[in-house]
Amino acid sequence: MQTVKESQHRFIKMLFFFIALILPWIAGGIYVHEKSNIAAREQLKLVNYYVDTVKKVDHSKFEILRQKFETPQQVTEACLSCHNKTDHDVMHTAHWKWTRPYVTDEGDTIQLGKKNIINNFCIGISSNEPLCTSCHAGYGWKNEKFDFSISKNIDCIVCHDQTGTYEKFPGKAGLPVDKKMVSNGKTFLPPDYNKIAENVGMPKRQNCGSCHFTGGGGNNVKHGDLELALNNTTRKVDVHMGIDGANMSCVECHKTKEHKISGKLYTVSSGNSDRVSCAQCHTSEPHSNIILNHHTDRIACQTCHIPEYAKVNPTKMYWDWSTAGKRNPDGSLIIKKDSHGHLKYHTKKGSFVYESNVKPEYVWFNGKARHYLTGEKIDTSKVLVLNELQGSYADKTSKIIPVKIHRGKQIYDAENNYLIIPHLFGKDSTAFWKNFDWDKAARTGMASVGLPYSGKYSFISTEMYWPVNHMVSESKESLSCTDCHSRNGRLAGLNDFYMPGRDYDPLLDKTGIIMIILSLIGVAIHAGLRIAKSKN
Amino acid sequence: MKRKTYIYRRFERFWHWNQALLILFLALTGFEIHSSYKLFGYQNAVTMHNVAAWALLVLIIFAIFWHFVTGEWKQYIPTTKYIKAQIEYYITGIFRGAPHPTNKTVYNKFNPLQRLIYLGLKLFVIPVQVITGFIYLFYVYPDNPAQSFDLSNVAAVHTIGAFALLSFVVAHVYLTTTGETPLSSIKAMVTGWEVIDVDENEERVEHLHKAVEESAAGYYRLDKNGILTDVNDAWLEMYKCKDRSEVIGKHYSETRDEKHLSEMDDIFRRVLNGETLTGVPVVRKCFDGSTGKHILSANPVYEDGEIAGIEGFVLNIDETEALSDHIYYTVRNSAAGYYRLDENGNIIDVNDAWLKLYKYDTKDEIIGKHFSVTRDPAEVDKLKSIVDRVMSGDTISGMIAVRKCKDGSTGKHILSANPITIGNKIVGMEGFILDITGLEEDA
Repeated sequence: MQTVKESQHRFIKMLFFFIALILPWIAGGIYVHEKSNIAAREQLKLVNYYVDTVKKVDHSKFEILRQKFETPQQVTEACLSCHNKTDHDVMHTAHWKWTRPYVTDEGDTIQLGKKNIINNFCIGISSNEPLCTSCHAGYGWKNEKFDFSISKNIDCIVCHDQTGTYEKFPGKAGLPVDKKMVSNGKTFLPPDYNKIAENVGMPKRQNCGSCHFTGGGGNNVKHGDLELALNNTTRKVDVHMGIDGANMSCVECHKTKEHKISGKLYTVSSGNSDRVSCAQCHTSEPHSNIILNHHTDRIACQTCHIPEYAKVNPTKMYWDWSTAGKRNPDGSLIIKKDSHGHLKYHTKKGSFVYESNVKPEYVWFNGKARHYLTGEKIDTSKVLVLNELQGSYADKTSKIIPVKIHRGKQIYDAENNYLIIPHLFGKDSTAFWKNFDWDKAARTGMASVGLPYSGKYSFISTEMYWPVNHMVSESKESLSCTDCHSRNGRLAGLNDFYMPGRDYDPLLDKTGIIMIILSLIGVAIHAGLRIAKSKN
Repeated sequence: MKRKTYIYRRFERFWHWNQALLILFLALTGFEIHSSYKLFGYQNAVTMHNVAAWALLVLIIFAIFWHFVTGEWKQYIPTTKYIKAQIEYYITGIFRGAPHPTNKTVYNKFNPLQRLIYLGLKLFVIPVQVITGFIYLFYVYPDNPAQSFDLSNVAAVHTIGAFALLSFVVAHVYLTTTGETPLSSIKAMVTGWEVIDVDENEERVEHLHKAVEESAAGYYRLDKNGILTDVNDAWLEMYKCKDRSEVIGKHYSETRDEKHLSEMDDIFRRVLNGETLTGVPVVRKCFDGSTGKHILSANPVYEDGEIAGIEGFVLNIDETEALSDHIYYTVRNSAAGYYRLDENGNIIDVNDAWLKLYKYDTKDEIIGKHFSVTRDPAEVDKLKSIVDRVMSGDTISGMIAVRKCKDGSTGKHILSANPITIGNKIVGMEGFILDITGLEEDA
C-alpha cells in the first residue's frame, strides 16, 4: 500500500545512495586523468644550461698567425707563443696520453688506455701505430719511441679548426699531407694553415667527429651512436644535436676544464669519475610522475630515452677475424657486401655483420670497468669479455644502462693462452694486410709488446661493451612501461631482481586460475542442482 | 516470525558496495600490472591501482570506525555452533528445500560460516593485501634502507591474496542467491530492508532498553544504599538537571525537600523488602530548588536472587490540569504499562502491566492488532490524532486517555508516547501508561 509520494521518496533516496557511491569514482577518475594530462603538458626541466656564444678573440688580428707555415708543428708553436701554458694542460689529458690510471686486480695503479689496450676491432696499436695514431691529437706517433714531452707535436687545430678543411691522413701518424695524396679513393690536400689559424675557435661537432664518428676505420663502425650524420641531423635522430632541436655542440655537455674534457667511454676507460650525466642539466627528478622519477634511482636516463641506435647509418655488430686472409684463385682480394651495400667479408679483415636501428642490450653498471690486459691468461672455454662493465642489482650504486655489445673472434696464442696483438699495418714482409700470414703477423706484433709467441695460434669468441649515450630520442619515442614490464621485454635477460609485469611464479598463477575456475564450476554445479531440484 | 526489517544501514551499504567495486577494480588493474592482459595501458593501470588502493584504505579506516562505534563488530565473533549444520545445509539441505539452519536477525546477521569467512577476510586477507600492497608501493627499488627482503616474495603473497579474493567474490555472489528469493539478499544490500527472522526476546530487550532511553517517562535506579546509579534523559529534564554526572552517586534524599523525604524513605524501605509499588504520587525537589509533582513506580532490582536496589519510572503530572490535588493524592493504579506500535499503527509489543490494565490474558491476543481495538469508537479519533502527532515526530507526556479493555469495560490512564526512529526514519511509536481509573469519580 505505497502512495506515490512514498515511492518518489524511496526513488530519491536510492538516487542519493547511487550518487554517493559513484561520486568517489568520478573524483578518482578525474584525478587519474588530470595526472596523465600533467605529464603530457610537462615542460622540459633544465638547470645549469648556458651557451657562451660571444667570441672573445679575433685570431685574424695576430701577426704571428700570418707567417708562412711549412709544417703543422709550426702552427702549434705559434699557438703556444701566446697560450704558453696550455701545452702543459693538453699533455695531461687522455687525448694526448691515450691512457688513464687503472687499478689492476692486484691493486696496482697502471696507465691504461687506447695506447696499450686490446680492443675488438683492429685489436691493438702496438706495431700498427702510424695508422691508429691518425686520430691522436698529436703529430708523429709512429712507433713506441714517440716522445710525449715535446709540446710542438700537439695537434691544436684538429680540435679548433673552424674551416672544416683540416684533415689528418690515415697512416701518417697523425699528420696531414704536405702534398696531394689519395687514400681509399679520397683525395687529401695540404691544409691552408693561415686560413685555419686565423679562424680557430671552440670545437664544433665536426672537430670531435673527425675522430669519434669514424673510429674503427669507417663511419659509425665502433660506437653505433656517434656518426657523421650527426654533423647535420634532426631531433628525430638526436634531440640535442638535431639542428631543428637544441642544435648543441659536443662540448656543451662534455664540459671542459684545462683541456680535460668530461665524459669518457668504458671501452678504454675504467674509473667512476669525470662522467657526463644527463642530470647535470635535467636534474635527478626530471619527470612530473613520481614513479618515473623513482626509476632514475636504478635506471640510467639513456635506457629509456635511447630506444635504438645506429638510426641513420649501420654500425658493426660482429667481426670474425678467423676467416680473414682468404683470396680468390687469382690471388686478388675477396670483398663481399650485403644487400645494403655494407661489407660482409674482406680478405684483410674477415667477416662482418652490420646492423641499423639496433635495440640496445642492457646491463648493470656502477661506473667501473675491468679490462683485459695484454698478456693476461684467458679461459678459452668461455667468451672473453674485453671490458667487463661492473655492477649488479645488489650493488646499490649500479644503474641499468643500454649497451652495444660488439661480438667477434680474435686471434690468441694457443699455448700461452693470451690474446695476440697482430702486426696488421705496414709495408714490411710480416704485416698481415700485405702478406695474409697470421703466424708472421703474430710474431712481429707480440715482439713489439715484449711477450713470447709460441707459434701456435687459434681464435676465441670475444665481446666488447659499448655504452650507448647519444642519439637520445624525442620524449614521445622513449620506452614505455611494457617495453620492460612485460613477459618478454627488453630486460628479459637481466634476471638478478624481481620486476613487476615481467616476473611471476608460473605455478602460483596456474594454481590461482585453477582455483577460480573450480569455484566457478562448483557454483555452476550447485546452482544447476538447485534449479533441477526445485523443478521436481 | 519473519518481518521486513531495516538490516543494512546507509554507511554499511555504501561501504559494502564501494569495497566490492574497489576490490574488483584493484583486481582488474592489478592483473594488468601482473601482465595477464592489456586493458588500460600499463602506466594508467599502475596509477589507477595506486589511487584505488588509497581509496580502499580510507574506506577501511572508516569501516573499522563504524564497526566499533555501532558495535556491529560483534556480528563477526566466530562461533562453531551450527557450523556443521550450515555446511550440511549447503551440501544437502538446500536441495531438499530444507529451512536455513540458522535464523537471520538484526542481531545475528551472519550464519556461522559467514562469520568465519568475513572475519578471515577482515583480519587476514585484506590486511595482508594492504600491507603487501603498501610494501610494494613504498619499496622503491633497493635504495630503500628498510628493504632486506626480496620483492618477489611480497609480490607472490599479494598475488595469492588477489586470487583468494576473486574466489571469494565468486562464492559470495553465488551464495547471495540462497536467500528468501534469488535476488532478495542483493536487494537488501541495496535498499537496506530485508524480510528476516525476528528474535522476540532480543527485540524486547532492545526495545525496552531504547524505550527507557528515549521515553518521555523518567527512569531511575538506586542501589540498596539509596544512591542513584542510573537515570535517563527524561528524568534529568524533570529534575531540571543538565548533567547526569551531577546526579549519579548522590543519595535520593537530595531529590526531596524535608517535608516529603519521609515519604520517600518509606517507599525505599518497602521496595527493598520486596514490594512493588505502582502509581505513587510524590513531590520532587528539582536541582534548581523548585518542586514538581509526579507519579512514581518502583520495583526491586534483583542480583543473584538478592535485592540489590530499586528502579522505576516517574511520569510528570504538573501539567495534567484535569487532575486536582485531591485526585492526585488518591491515585491508585497498577504497574506502568508499556506498548509499542509499528508505523502502520499495529501493536507489536506490550508488557504484562499493559495486559493487566487492558484485561488480556496473553500477548498473542493483542500483538499484530491495530491500536483502534483499544478504544471505543468515540475515542478512536482522539488516539489517532495522538498517533499521527507522534509519527510525525512529537513526544507526548501526561495525556489522559480512556481505554477499552478486552471485556468491553473502560478505564482511564495517563499516557506517554514517543516516536521510534531508525536513522532519520520514524518506524513506530512506544510509551508507558499509568492507570488513574476511578479518580474522577472520587472527586
